[in-house]
Formats: sequence, structure tokens, C-alpha cells
Amino acid sequence: MDLDPKWVPMKWPCGPLEWARRSKSKNVGADLKETLDAWAQPAALDLLKGTPVNCLVVEWAEGTPEDSAQQQALKPLLEAGRRRGLNFVGKVAAGEGTAAAVASAQQAGLSAVMLAERSGQSFGMPVILQFARDKVAWKSTTRIFSSTDNEWPGLKLDTMKGDTAIAGPTGVPWVNSNAWFSLLSDELAPGKTRWLDFDPPEAANARHPTNYPLAVADSQAYGSRWIISLDDNFRAALLKGNPQATSAWSKTCETLAFFETHREWVGFPSQGILAVVSDFLGDNAFLSGEVLNLLNRRKVQFRVMERSRALSAPTPGLKAILWLDKDAPSAGQLAKLLAFVRQGGLLIATAYWGPAGVAPKNRDPAVDYKMYNVGQGQIAVSVEGFLDPYQVAVDAHLLVSRRNDLVRLYNPDTTNCHLSLDPVHKRRLVQIVNYSPSAVSFVTLWVNNRARSAQLWSPGTKDSLSIPGVPAAPGTEFGLPTIAVNCALEVEGLNQ
Amino acid sequence: MINTPCSRRKFLGAIGATAGVWLARPAFSLAPPAPAGRVAVGMCPEYGPQVVTAMSTLFDQLGGLEKLVRGKTVAIKLNLTGDPFTRLGYAPVGITHWVHPDVVGATVHLLAKAGAYRIRLLESAQGTAEPLEEYMLQANWEPRDFLSAGSRVEFENTNFLGFGKKYSRFMVPGGGLMFQGYDLNHSYEDCDVFVSVAKLKEHLTAGVTLTMKNCFGITPCTIYGDGSPEDEPGLVPKGGRGPFHAGNRMPSKSAPPQVDRSGSTEGGYRVPRVVADLVAARPVHLGIIDGIHTMTGGEGPWAPHCSHVKPGLLIAGTNCVSTDAVGMALMGFDPMADRGTPPFETSDSTLRLAENLGVGTRDLRQIEVVGTPISKGLFKFRSA
Repeated sequence: MDLDPKWVPMKWPCGPLEWARRSKSKNVGADLKETLDAWAQPAALDLLKGTPVNCLVVEWAEGTPEDSAQQQALKPLLEAGRRRGLNFVGKVAAGEGTAAAVASAQQAGLSAVMLAERSGQSFGMPVILQFARDKVAWKSTTRIFSSTDNEWPGLKLDTMKGDTAIAGPTGVPWVNSNAWFSLLSDELAPGKTRWLDFDPPEAANARHPTNYPLAVADSQAYGSRWIISLDDNFRAALLKGNPQATSAWSKTCETLAFFETHREWVGFPSQGILAVVSDFLGDNAFLSGEVLNLLNRRKVQFRVMERSRALSAPTPGLKAILWLDKDAPSAGQLAKLLAFVRQGGLLIATAYWGPAGVAPKNRDPAVDYKMYNVGQGQIAVSVEGFLDPYQVAVDAHLLVSRRNDLVRLYNPDTTNCHLSLDPVHKRRLVQIVNYSPSAVSFVTLWVNNRARSAQLWSPGTKDSLSIPGVPAAPGTEFGLPTIAVNCALEVEGLNQ
Repeated sequence: MINTPCSRRKFLGAIGATAGVWLARPAFSLAPPAPAGRVAVGMCPEYGPQVVTAMSTLFDQLGGLEKLVRGKTVAIKLNLTGDPFTRLGYAPVGITHWVHPDVVGATVHLLAKAGAYRIRLLESAQGTAEPLEEYMLQANWEPRDFLSAGSRVEFENTNFLGFGKKYSRFMVPGGGLMFQGYDLNHSYEDCDVFVSVAKLKEHLTAGVTLTMKNCFGITPCTIYGDGSPEDEPGLVPKGGRGPFHAGNRMPSKSAPPQVDRSGSTEGGYRVPRVVADLVAARPVHLGIIDGIHTMTGGEGPWAPHCSHVKPGLLIAGTNCVSTDAVGMALMGFDPMADRGTPPFETSDSTLRLAENLGVGTRDLRQIEVVGTPISKGLFKFRSA
């Protein structure tokens, strides 16, 4: 068996290894031991009946004396799981005993192992490599790969309302999201399946059930999978049949099922007006990553372009290119960049690479850039260089102008969206994610094309709902029903 | 930061005799009556091309715009409160709490037609130094529509220094109720005529949002904002105008200091005084109120009990106090009301404070209302 992109992974913490690890790291009580033991029992798998979850990630070997006890304890679970058609991925810590641990996993019938780093060894079974998010070896990623150090998605700060600190909003709320990393991964590891590894905050419990569907939606709306990870209290409550926990689990599975039903959306290419170009490596990694994060937060529709591949393919609809790195483009790339500018495009960079003899002009006090008119387009050169990712994102957004927005969202600013294009039916897909812990009402989506209606898909509903479009020159607005966590709209027609 | 004393003579030509009377009067004089301007009221059931016709009629009823604006630079403060993406229900912001773009476009068109040399659209875009055009685009407005409505139309975000090299200082006649004076974006000085285009709304803190309260937003948050630096203005605005509301901190020290010694931290006391100061220091020559569609219950969708309504009204006047008095009367409120009486349940009356500063009268008996009578245009906000 090979790695299967259709696997829907879930962490299944149980057994002696888990207990030993937890015992070392924090104060634990009898309740946790009870939960870990219970989750090692085949009966716990009943929780997965009727859900899309089909792959369990278990601790397999850490190079400690508990390894064999763990593997022994998991046997009944593995056998019962296989009878139910479940796949198992065993996490194996790097070390001298890796080869033996992988061999034992293969012998025990695991579908794959998850390794923290590539040892160069060849194993007789599928391997999922896992990397820290800022250390992904993009060229070495496996067909399914995983990243750690991701954010738990959601609101970080409350917003205010009105024109004062007391009565009104003074800024947009900060949202934690892994969306930018998913979009980056799409470019740097195309065609690969990403499993985002992140655990719920320690404060999470059955009283905050919305967080789990949001973790699914923030990952999957941008083409990644979250390795489902439930907190200990929640898992204990589930096994005891707590109605609140059961309901929350049901909602989580509803969201999972929603994305499985629309699995084809993963292959839809992202739409954007701004290309963000970098190698996204080494010294450039922090700035470029943060710029992607902040542009996404500002709802700028962008495309990620790896520097060496930039402009190697046609880029229809692109209005601007943000060249983040100090490294100049190659001669071939420069020719393409200048052709793009001459045809009316905007190049934003830290140095002027255009034809000699063009005098710069300052455009606006709000942006500290020198503007060079070249052909029908412009080259914007940052006066101070790209120092602050926030400022780079703000400036890029202003320079490319909201006039070129493809979509906008109204009410409230705790939502974000991902725009992609169905290449077959030429329909736009707008996936909307609500990062607030509460459902949001009166959300309005504006798209820059004319459309009579859009089909709205929501978790928990089998059929789509037709939403009439309201002309809002030069585009169309759609008033959406209440959004709990996420939804998606298929909009007919492209930009006129 | 360098500040420039305001040359008040600049305004005399445009404001005419009314301003002359006002400038000659001491600030707190209670004896002679405050000046009254004519106020025109018109019915306009819906936005669209008919707004131009309705507004043209209003301006004709005021005696025409030509003598006020011909050959002049006109600055227009728009009421774009809150942010561009927060709506009341699904309604676009121009329907409920921003002035509608049709009203803005009609104003620009008619001012240009009357011979205005240059027209500047102004607002302090909330929490940002981005160009006003970008702010409008975010609300689904098309700034090019305004550019094409006149020959020299400009935009400026006045929440920071903007295109100016220094802030302009406006001192309050008589010393000020809350501050001695205010440092503002240059656009409020670099004009001959100042127009306030407001929405017919209530206000959670100040009772009503009309042409005067609209001027609260001429203050830059680089100096008066929650996050303004202690000594000098910031480069970009940070936060809202919380310090005006709560008095929890003072503006940057470069600006004229607070003169009010009450120690009050109550918004209902402080905000009306700041507004009265501002319209005394930076006179409004023409006030326009968009009441075609609007909202009840407050100044924006964050108000706890608010709803979209359609009074179908347009109001214009050459004295901001009198214009607001007529606006209040059309909303079903008594313009002579003060603290404790609707809509001033928890605030002082900005109208009374401005009247005491000699800006204008709020007494309907002294105001000439032309066009639709108040009784016919009455739209009771509290029973809507």
C-alpha cells in the first residue's frame, strides 16, 4: 500500500508511551491515565462510526523502554481498526533504532510511519516526513508530508466598534490562521498532500466546541488537512457520552464530511491579482512568510510564486508582482518582468531594474515609494527597503489598489475567504471561513463580475442553496445566511 | 511639528454677512441673538438621478451656490463614520450610516456647476493613512464618479498630515470650551468654503449626528487618537478618538492644550464641547444632511438597538446650528432640548453649546425654513 491522499488523519493518543511522555511533561492525574487506557481499547473506535476519519496516527516508537509495551498495547486496537477499514500511521522518533521501529511497524501491519527527518535510509513501507514549519525541506517532501508549529486558528484579540475606542472599531481583529502556509506549500510542493499538525490550546474544553470545525475549515479551505487532535478533557467527555462533547464531535465530523464531499475543490487553482515572489528560504523566509500571512489577513487575493519559477508560465489576470527578495531577477526573468510592466503591470521591489533614464516620482504620502513609469505600467521601488512585513503588505495592497479586488467581504471582519477557479466549469469558488467563536450573520460577499446567482454549500446540508445576486456596480453582491464556521459559494461567470 | 495660526479673514468672503456678525461677537455673549441662516428642506423618496434635482432645488431656495463658491476652493467633509466593511444587515454603508455616494456626487456636480474652482472631498478614514479613494473603494464606491462630476476634484484622508507639510492651527474664539484650539490637516485651512455633508442620524454619545457632529471627524488621530505619541503627532493614525470621549489622556503636546477644568471623563459632556469648539474654530459655510435613507438608534451599526429607515429627506442650510436644529425637528426632537430630554438623555446639547459660542441659533422661531414644511417632512425617529 502506498500513501493515499484520501486518508483523513486523526491523532489517537493512548498507551504506555503516551502516558510516559505526559507524565514527564506536566502534572497529570488519574483521569488522564483512564482516558489514555480507554482510548487504547477497540471499543473507543466506535467514535469513528459514520465519520470520514479513516486514518489514525499513533505513537509507535520513541527509542525508550516503553516502546515495546506501547506496540504490544496497541495490538488489539490495530486489529479492530483494520477490520473496520482504518489505516494506521505510527510516529517514530529519529534515532539509532529507527530502522528497527519501522520494521516492527511494518510487521504490525501499519500503513505508514511518520518520521521527523529523512535519514537517507530506505524503508520497506511508506513514510510520511514531518517538518517544523520553518524548516520544510521542500524538495524532499513525501507524497503526504506534515508540518508542526502551526497556529491554532481563531481570533486573537477582540475588536472594538464605532469611531472611538469605546464605541467603535479601531482596527481589524487579529486572526491566527495557517492559510498562508497552505498557499505557500501549494507552490513549493505542488501536488503533495499536507497534514497540518497542531493541538488545541490547553484552555480548550467541551464548552468551546466551535474550535474543532474551525481547525478543519482553516486547513481544508486552503487545501491542507488537519491531523485531528482533540484535547484530553474533550476525549474523556466523549467516551462518557457527554451530550455537549458528542454534539461538538458531530459538528466536527460534519465539517470533515463537507470537505470530503467536495474533494475536487483541492485541485482548483487559487486566483489572485498580486504575485508574491521569493525563494521563501533562509534569510528570506521570515519576511516572505509574514507578508503572505498579512496579505491574506487583509483579504488581498494573491498567488505565491517561487522565485526561480516566477513568470515561467502565463499569468492571466495578474495586476502586480511583489518581488520580495533583494536578489535581482535573472536576465530572462527581467525581460519577462519588464514586458509585464510595459503592458500595464506593476512591479513592486526594493531596487529599480528598469530601463535607464527614467526619473522617479513620489506617488502618495501614504506610501513611501518611488514610482517609475515604464511603458503602460509602473515600477514601485521602496525607499527604505522591505523591513517591516506589515508595512510591506499594507503598501502592496495600496499600490495594487482595491480597485482590482476580485472579492470583498462585509460584516464582520472576523471572516476571510479563499478564491479559486474550477478549471472545468469556469466557475469561481469562494470559500468563506469565520474565525469568530460565534456564528456570524449578514455577511455579504461581493465579487467583481456580474452573476445572477451563486450556489451556497454549507456543512450539514446535502443540497446547495441558490443565492440571488444583487447588482453592485461593477460587480455583484450576495447576502449570505448565518455562517457558523464555513461555507462555499460557486459563482457562475468570470470577470467581464 | 510646526503649526500655523489660522487666517480667519480667509473665510469672510465666502461666509458673507452671517460670519461677519458671528466674528464680531464675543464667545459667551448671551445677549444678542446668534445668527440664523435659511434652511431648505426637500423630499426625495429614493437615491438616483432625482437627488441632483432635489438638491438643486434646495440650493436655489438658499439663494443659489454661485455667490458662495464661484472661483473658490471648496472643502467637503463627508460623514463616513466607522469602517467601510461593517454594515447594518446587508445594507451598504451609504444606505444607513455613511452619506450616500449619490448625495456626494450631486453635491460635487452642483458645486462645480456653480463655478467652484476646486473641490476637495475630505474625511479622516478610520485608523488608517491610506488614500481616501482606497477607503471608498473598500465600501464599493467608485471615486472616479466624483472625479467626473467636476473639473478639479481631489481627495484627502485628513486623519494624518496627508499632503500637507504642517498641521493647520484653528483657535477657538473665546478660548474654547474643551481645548484652546485644534491642529488639523491643511485641507481645512486651504479652502475658501467649508461644507459639511452629514447623515440624519442619532448618536450614542452626543444625541444627534448632523452637520456639526460630522466635524468631530476633522480631527487627526495622529494627534487626538488613542495611540498618538505624547509629544509630537504620529506619522500614521492609531486608534479612534477615545481621548476626546473619555479624557483618559491628552493630545500630543504639540497641539493646543485642554482648557476645561471640570475633570469630566464623561463622553456626553466632553464630545458636544469638542464639536462646538470645532465648528466655532472652523466655520461651516454650507451644511447638507442626507436623510433619504438612514438609521435610527445611533450613528452606526454598532449601536445596540438600530434599524434602517427611509425618511426621504434632504436638508441644506448656510448655518450649521440652524441646519441641525431643523434636522432635529424633522427627526421629531425639540432642538431646544438639553441634557435629560431626548435625544440628549445622557449628553449636553451641542446645539446649545454652539449657540452660546455665537455660531448660530437653534430657535426655530428665528430660522427661516423654506421648501417642505417641518410638519410635512416630520419623521419621528423614536417611533419609527
